[in-house]
Amino acid sequence: MAVSAHVSDLIKPGIAAFIAAALAYPAPAHAAGPRGVMSLNVCTDQLVLSLAEPADIVSLSELSVDPTLSFMAGEAASYPKNAGLAEEVLAARPSVVVTGTYSLHNTTALLSGLGTRVEEFPYQQSIDTIPADIRRMGTILGKEDEAEALARDFEAELATARADLGGVHPRAIVFGPNGVVAGAGTLQHTVLEAAGFRNLAAERGMTGMAPYPLELLVADRPDLVLLSAPMTDAPALADRIARHPAIAASGAALPSGAIPAGSWDCGGPFTLEALRALRSIRDGLLAEDQPSK
Amino acid sequence: MISRLNIILAASVLILAALSLLVGPAALGPGESLSAIFSSDGGTAALIMREIRLPRALLGVLIGASLGLSGAALQGFLRNPLAEPGIIGVSSSASLGAVLVFYSGLAGASLLALPAGALVGALAAMLALIGFSRGNTATLTLILAGVALSSLAGALTSLALNLSPNPFASYEIIFWLLGSLKDRSMEHVWIALPLMLAGWIMIAVSARALDALSFGEEAAASLGVDVGRARLLVVGGVALSVGAATAVAGAIGFVGLVVPHLVRPFTDRMPGGLLLPSALGGAALLTAADIAARLIRPAGELNVGVVTALIGAPFFLWLVAHSRREVQS
Amino acid sequence: MNAEQPIAVSTAGLSVTLGPRPVLAGIDFAMARGEVVGLLGPNGAGKSTLIRALAGQVAFDGSIAIEGRDQHDLTADARSRIVAHLPQGRMIAWPLAVETVVGLGRLPWRGFAGRGDADGARACREAMELADVTHLAGRPATALSGGEQARVLAARAIAQATPVLLADEPVAGLDPAHQMSLMLAFRRIAARGRAVLVSLHDLTLAARWCDRVVVLHDGRIAADGAPASVLTADLLERVFDILVRLDHDECGPILTPIGLSADRE
Repeated sequence: MAVSAHVSDLIKPGIAAFIAAALAYPAPAHAAGPRGVMSLNVCTDQLVLSLAEPADIVSLSELSVDPTLSFMAGEAASYPKNAGLAEEVLAARPSVVVTGTYSLHNTTALLSGLGTRVEEFPYQQSIDTIPADIRRMGTILGKEDEAEALARDFEAELATARADLGGVHPRAIVFGPNGVVAGAGTLQHTVLEAAGFRNLAAERGMTGMAPYPLELLVADRPDLVLLSAPMTDAPALADRIARHPAIAASGAALPSGAIPAGSWDCGGPFTLEALRALRSIRDGLLAEDQPSK
Repeated sequence: MISRLNIILAASVLILAALSLLVGPAALGPGESLSAIFSSDGGTAALIMREIRLPRALLGVLIGASLGLSGAALQGFLRNPLAEPGIIGVSSSASLGAVLVFYSGLAGASLLALPAGALVGALAAMLALIGFSRGNTATLTLILAGVALSSLAGALTSLALNLSPNPFASYEIIFWLLGSLKDRSMEHVWIALPLMLAGWIMIAVSARALDALSFGEEAAASLGVDVGRARLLVVGGVALSVGAATAVAGAIGFVGLVVPHLVRPFTDRMPGGLLLPSALGGAALLTAADIAARLIRPAGELNVGVVTALIGAPFFLWLVAHSRREVQS
Repeated sequence: MNAEQPIAVSTAGLSVTLGPRPVLAGIDFAMARGEVVGLLGPNGAGKSTLIRALAGQVAFDGSIAIEGRDQHDLTADARSRIVAHLPQGRMIAWPLAVETVVGLGRLPWRGFAGRGDADGARACREAMELADVTHLAGRPATALSGGEQARVLAARAIAQATPVLLADEPVAGLDPAHQMSLMLAFRRIAARGRAVLVSLHDLTLAARWCDRVVVLHDGRIAADGAPASVLTADLLERVFDILVRLDHDECGPILTPIGLSADRE
């Protein structure tokens, strides 16, 4: 899921440059190794949490503690939080800032312009890019060995899963709020395929996050409908669609807890949890001996 | 009572409702679609027809009828050809009421919270406007008050949705201000229908009073009309009909304005006699607009309020230009 | 007052207060069937308020009896079959056909779904003839001139066929011929046993067409009686602040205003 807070250009570059000049801090010296990492994005938050020494974590994004988005919300709880503002970075002066490519676009450009080291991780992830992301974070944090171990474990389990893809591939769909589904090019798509499913949305030609008409969901008779949990307790009509009687009547819907929350909204070591859950669901479906053709 | 006009309109409603059942992204043949409604085999076609398209077609008819009827009742009661639940702010106030109750989570995201809030909102708007219009029925004064009320309710709706911690809430502003019949279920039909029926009955009972009110409140009273009772019936009837409609489909504008004017030339122009044709015409117009909303942009689908506004707003301008005649009290 | 006819309307100690202001005070008034009574008085004297009180549309102190029944005991429905009220503000909100407008006068006599009014068609026809609007029957009332609309609304009130008709300035804005023909229509329905109270500003019209005139001044009855005895130069100067020349012919008095009281010096 795309999680990107849009921070408008609250701080004009000119003003920011003035502030920087007034503070007159020298650019951080990278050679001394990272003395502190600040993450501005819920996906980089979790890579940081997986690898960094707790003492090195300056702050994480506010979304890091949202249990519907962040698999590691519990681990994130004890750290300071940031709202992704350039001001916060200037005040905290971390040695490195990690964030997503598209999120906080203005902030990223501004910080780079001010000489802060900013490492951007691509927003478009697949299950195959996760080991590389882990290794890259390891390098940034000076934790190359730990990262290498995590990445190898990940690659090994992924390879095992792929070696075991014989037989029928049931058709699945990830049906989110407002009937928006994960099409080709999404992390969920690649996890589904790795777990031995066909992604119905991608077969319908959808890429990225796209609305999927409820009627087609019924007509296409997927073997598995994965509903996502509401993001908050605060009600919205967007979340009501999961309760439409047509979905219940299709008989293929699984409750929102079927895949551990946050395990495949961002890619990380924990995405294996989503893979494992999907593989066990597939085993169940195949055991019923009623797969689609 | 059963005039030729009403027969033609009723037939149009049936035909349009049938067409509405045939429109949708799933490729179902016409025969297959219509027979699937009556099938209980739980097959794909039956599921699509009974759980998705049927509630949508029913709500198009019911909500259209409620809006057309309410428009005719308001025009008759206020003796104001520009009166309409959308323009005078009743619909947007109903939206505000529904939004406040639903998104605050007071009712735990229950759908039943929607009509409760919408009814209170619609009723408050009706009482405010009726109070304002007493002794002050000049056409434009009332309309301007309604426009102010409508803007206020719209702004507060946006504010309430923006303040919601749910990130999807702020995207739902467009639903509450423009309305949609997308992905409704029979549940929506069942929560709206009883309220609408009650509203329709109240308005129908006021028909005779609306006729007499053509000559103003004093003359109506001398014709044996209890004007206070008529006011109660119209306020309650419109609040129930529009509140229930808005609760399940958002604020859909202009149906109540356009329809009475379209059917009036084919009647004796008596406000009471205009009620049934306006209800039927409203049902036909909204059903047609909802079909258009799906055909114009099949993938993403337009909000049906966009279509009714595209028809209604130019009509409203034309009406303003041609009814400069101020209605005297 | 016509002694042979039964009393249609009577009031005793009738007072009306609108807001802080007493508009009518201690009105003792009666009219019989068969009478056309002219209600005169300067602007603000209380003419319209008296008519509204008799029509049951304002709260009052004292008593009003209509056809022998206490005003407070009458339901709106029952009252509408006894008293017709032609208000001063002439409103026809929709482009209704003239015959539709007149037909609405039959509303009190209609049952559910417009049935059960056997006399309706005849009453409407007669009312339209009396008000001289028969030739306009199919025209939209809103497209008519002000004078024509006034006659159409008068026909509507006449068609209501009540024992009592209260008309508030029905001839204002009408041309002289139609002023006279409408007054003649009131005389005709009075001759059929109805009581007509009509407020007027034209003193000569009142003098010539009314059996009796009641003059209101500051919410009280200043004079009540036959026009010739009531409309004296003295009363007109006192109540209306005008100087008039009084002439008489075989039809009654002719009043010609010639100046304001203030001009006397």
